[in-house]
Amino acid sequence: MSYLRPTSWAEALAARAEYPEAVVVAGGTDVMVEINFGRLHPSALLDLSRVGELRALGREDGHVRVGSGVTYQSIMRDLPGELPGLAAAARTVGSPPIRNRGTIGGNLGSASPAGDCHPPLLACGAEVEIASVHTSRTTPVADFFVGPKRSVLGPDELIAAVWVPAATGPQTFSKVGSRNAMVIAICSFALALHPDVGRVGTGIGSAGPVPLRARAAEQFLEGHLGETGAWESRPRLGDAVVDEFARLVAGAAQPIDDVRGSADYRRHALGVVARRSLMWCWDEFRGGRP
Amino acid sequence: MSGLRADGEETAKMTLDESGAKRRGELMTEIDLSVNGRRHSVECEAHTTLLTVLRRLGCFSVRFGSATGETGAAAVLVDGRLVAADVLLAAQAVGHEITTVEALNVATGEYHPIQEAFVEAGAMQSGYSAGAMVLATKALLEANPDPTEAEIRDALSGILDRETAYVKVVEAVKRAAAALRGEKCRPMDPVVVDALAGYKASPAATVTEVDGEVSMAVPRLVISPDVPQTAVVGKPETKVDALRLVKGNPAFTDDIEPRGMLFAKVLRSPHAHARIVAIDDSAAAALPGVHAVLHCRNTARVKYASGGQSWPNPPPWDQVSFDDKVRHVGDRVAAVAAESTEIAEEACRLIKVTYEELPAVFDEVEAIKPGAPVIHDETDTEGIFDSGRNISHHIEGQTVSDEALEAAFAGADRVFEETFHVQQVQHTPIEPHITIGWLDEDERLVLRTSTQVPFHVRRMVAPLLGLPVKRIRVIKPRLGGGFGAKQEMVIEDIVGHLVLATRHPVRLELTRAEEFISTRVRHAMTVTFRSGVDAEGRLVAQDMSVVSNTGAYGTHGFTVNSVSGQHGLSLYNCPAKRFRCDVAYTNRPVAGAFRGYGAPQAFFALESHMDDIARALGLDPYEIRERNWVRTGDPLDIVLRLGERGGVEDLAPEDIPVITSCGLEECALQGRRAIGWERRSDPAWHRPADRPHIRRGLGMALAIQGSGIPLVDMAACSIKINDDGSFNMLVGATDLGTGSDTVLAQIAAEVLGVPIEDILVYSSDTDFTPFDVGAYASSTTYISGGAVKKAAEAARARIVVRAARLLGVDDASTIELHDRRAWALDGRSVSMGDIALNALHTEDQEQIMGTASHVSPESPPPFAAQLAEVEVDIETGQVTVTKLVTAVDCGVPINPITASGQVEGAMLQALGYALCEEVVLDEAGRPLNDRFGPYWIFRADDTPPMEVYLVQTMEPSGPYGAKAVAEIPIDDVAPAVRNAILDATGVAINAIPFTPERVWRALQPAT
Repeated sequence: MSYLRPTSWAEALAARAEYPEAVVVAGGTDVMVEINFGRLHPSALLDLSRVGELRALGREDGHVRVGSGVTYQSIMRDLPGELPGLAAAARTVGSPPIRNRGTIGGNLGSASPAGDCHPPLLACGAEVEIASVHTSRTTPVADFFVGPKRSVLGPDELIAAVWVPAATGPQTFSKVGSRNAMVIAICSFALALHPDVGRVGTGIGSAGPVPLRARAAEQFLEGHLGETGAWESRPRLGDAVVDEFARLVAGAAQPIDDVRGSADYRRHALGVVARRSLMWCWDEFRGGRP
Repeated sequence: MSGLRADGEETAKMTLDESGAKRRGELMTEIDLSVNGRRHSVECEAHTTLLTVLRRLGCFSVRFGSATGETGAAAVLVDGRLVAADVLLAAQAVGHEITTVEALNVATGEYHPIQEAFVEAGAMQSGYSAGAMVLATKALLEANPDPTEAEIRDALSGILDRETAYVKVVEAVKRAAAALRGEKCRPMDPVVVDALAGYKASPAATVTEVDGEVSMAVPRLVISPDVPQTAVVGKPETKVDALRLVKGNPAFTDDIEPRGMLFAKVLRSPHAHARIVAIDDSAAAALPGVHAVLHCRNTARVKYASGGQSWPNPPPWDQVSFDDKVRHVGDRVAAVAAESTEIAEEACRLIKVTYEELPAVFDEVEAIKPGAPVIHDETDTEGIFDSGRNISHHIEGQTVSDEALEAAFAGADRVFEETFHVQQVQHTPIEPHITIGWLDEDERLVLRTSTQVPFHVRRMVAPLLGLPVKRIRVIKPRLGGGFGAKQEMVIEDIVGHLVLATRHPVRLELTRAEEFISTRVRHAMTVTFRSGVDAEGRLVAQDMSVVSNTGAYGTHGFTVNSVSGQHGLSLYNCPAKRFRCDVAYTNRPVAGAFRGYGAPQAFFALESHMDDIARALGLDPYEIRERNWVRTGDPLDIVLRLGERGGVEDLAPEDIPVITSCGLEECALQGRRAIGWERRSDPAWHRPADRPHIRRGLGMALAIQGSGIPLVDMAACSIKINDDGSFNMLVGATDLGTGSDTVLAQIAAEVLGVPIEDILVYSSDTDFTPFDVGAYASSTTYISGGAVKKAAEAARARIVVRAARLLGVDDASTIELHDRRAWALDGRSVSMGDIALNALHTEDQEQIMGTASHVSPESPPPFAAQLAEVEVDIETGQVTVTKLVTAVDCGVPINPITASGQVEGAMLQALGYALCEEVVLDEAGRPLNDRFGPYWIFRADDTPPMEVYLVQTMEPSGPYGAKAVAEIPIDDVAPAVRNAILDATGVAINAIPFTPERVWRALQPAT
């Protein structure tokens, strides 16, 4: 087994090109489980933990550029104001030993349907910056996942960063699980309101083969808020609107029966969480208006 | 890739030859690590974890709990931040500063302030993860000298503790923070609480003001006036093994590594039920580095039962080391010893096994129906009750004839019948099963093993290996928890076989997945209670019938299920009682001993049933219990009809044991007060106005347990004096983290008039320590404590004789021992050291020592009341337990800190049983949640507030009034939560765990 330890981004891309079969290790919290269990027998490990560029945070055009090597811990500590949904999701990840090592790039690279970062990234409309020695491209997070633990990442490509629009309105992230704080959720849901552009963003985790957006729910709510001028007048939302939004979110899920819960229950729970998320976000947006 | 450099090092060194890289385990390289301020050059492979390297370097405080980072036992600091060394490549740590708890161990015999706080607060039980917790505390306090409780809990949340419920760990962190800020903390002396029932506080006792500000980690004590004053017993002494644990010193099985040691792996069945038609081990045996491959074709077929119990182990003896049939996924097929774990794993993959798959059955009720696949169709197992119907045991016991029972039901005003179901759960000690075996210089087999039953293991493993008992020595080092999973011979025979086959030392450590599937689980049960009551709610007839799931083998099937009846039918007085049980073989993982031992299943059913009866009769749940519960002097009339010495047909009334101490009423009253029971009648409290989807409720449940197995459990102890007046105490008792070494030392110190630090405890080693049945059945304090007291009294008898002579006193019986001296009535005294020197060196020399053994004809029951406050989210079904209270009568708690620690730990295990734990299999019997995460156990950051009340009673048969404590607090959390959900929502749910989905479904209106 080769162990490749680049110290710069250029070296990392070169190594990736030369060893396309290498397994990429960032914090190691996911990959090492697979290696310890003997489920992965890579011929090479490509360790990105020494590439300093990947740990950088940048700001440009109302976006935060989160380097793929940024840890959950750093997201929680450094970004709660700009990216509240992502920071809330990072806070629910594992525990301090995992948050201190696990990275946003590693979470995306594993492409687990249960990845905690994915719903808020979807809700925010984030884009993934992908690079190889030859090219660089960005892809919306919604198009990044192609199946359970599979993404659009090519064999010679690495995730450089994630571009996340800074919040212009309330954002939430919620999990439903067996306990108050659980490791893997029965389902999770992120909601982001973008009042500046009249948009609504959603993200669903653990309820389908890939993390999902509830597009019909987004369109419904955007339509309602736009048509009624609610972004400006900020009225209370009627029960019918909230219930319809929840129904559409639940309908967008593609859950399966597994050890954590049946498909029926997951869809139901997702509807409940969607309704509550909308009420929390809208209340926050209304800012204590009567 | 030579162009890639890391920290000035040539990375080409790390880029290894790929020609042979398909298999792991052959390519080594060298890395430089900085550990605790020293640089080390270490050979490792690319995929080697930091955990492996640190242990190789002698950092024993960094321990294996899983290979997933989920237990935190391997947490270390990298550049001051807590990370999980089991999911970190060693090579990734190059260039960073690694800190383990060894860095704090600068002075011999001294503590860092954080360690001191852990010792003082009683934060460690087994201490297996103590190093990680101390480091988590260090990292937290360096960043935040005055953290909130929530911040402390978050900092600890990555380190799972199956023992303490984190109560005293959080307290330790608070104390450490205070100490580092230069503040002083209140000592951990118990807070004395006013009695509510018949007790009056003893005037002689030191009564502390009840202070709401004192942390609930400090035990609350209700004092009985019958308890005499003592010097060491009853005091919050720190653990005698605290130093080795908090410093992470090498104390556990895996903390030694004999030269030439081989690594074992077990090939396990992928099928739930299959016959092994053929095994071809040629490729495995030919693999370089493989020393032995053992299976049913080359190992003797010797029948045994794996449950660690007194001779003769209850039948059926339905196991062999390697069978030609597999009966559950994870069952043993073969074992390999090789020069590395990787080679052993590879060899397991190379063993070709041809199976004939058989139909399987998993549910206990289905298994005993006609036509179910027969799991034990072999002809050489004796003592199966009905192998054709998969019934391993049939158990019956009743206090009256069937006719009298039916007559009692016929005379009842109301008859209620309900059926309950409880699931399989796993013990999950953070230290998995591990055994290291070798042949000593006399070619005797030595097994250093993580067991609760070293003496049983020695006797039980002998015939399997074809060795006489005298050729075997079993050493029990520190244990990282057991909870009954290690009251079984789960792996010791495999290691013994491999040592004899290879003549090399052999180490076998189970993975977390193997712990779940191949060790033991709690019996799943289907329990039906039929109860007849009179118009006032008094029980007139109780009929309890059980179908129990023993899994693939019978091991503890007889005793666990007997205990279900013994305790389930002993809590309440009733003139007519009957217990019937069929124990079913299934193709599930093997059920065995698990803390509570059949009682939690019985009490989930009984205490749920009692609430439903109360509801039907319009009674308060407390009221119906008060009308029926047992009191001092009441008979334990079913106990002798069941169990090892059971089946007694004609019991004379004078042979029926009676309750000699009972604090049940006080427990129930304390619990009721602590939980705020009066809120049950407040509708506004049940429906908080600001959260319309929430319903609140309160629930109660009571329990009775035993203190050891009467006339079966035996313990022994030997005590000798040293030149300086200290004592060595050898006990066969097995401290698995419970604190029994400490409690036993307190009893000896009390008798001998010395402080606890003068008692040097050694437990347990079959070559050196006297016999003890082991740590189970809540027997250690009561039975082993009885042996210690007798042995200490024997030594004391010689001490006072010699002291009388030295002091010129005629009557030795007037000599008193205290403060390390022997005192005459006139106030003259001689020191224990001078007595020892005199006895050992100067005059009429002798070794002052005492040896004694103890068996009890009784098993005085401890009692408990457990109460829960819950919030039910009626939209999602999520149940949040917002408070748990336990009040327990364990007689006189010898050490209130360790006793309350036992209670807290059991409460949290029981909360998992109630809410989230379940071993789930797919339709083929394969595990779906054989790792933490999918199998949830509670973490520091999701544990509800807990309150523990110790209600003293003076048990006349116990050492200094003690009864048992370790098991009873696991009995009643599930029914208390269930009854609280009933109070909150009006919905009775008769199966656990209360997952959100189960509760949500129960809340849906029937269609």
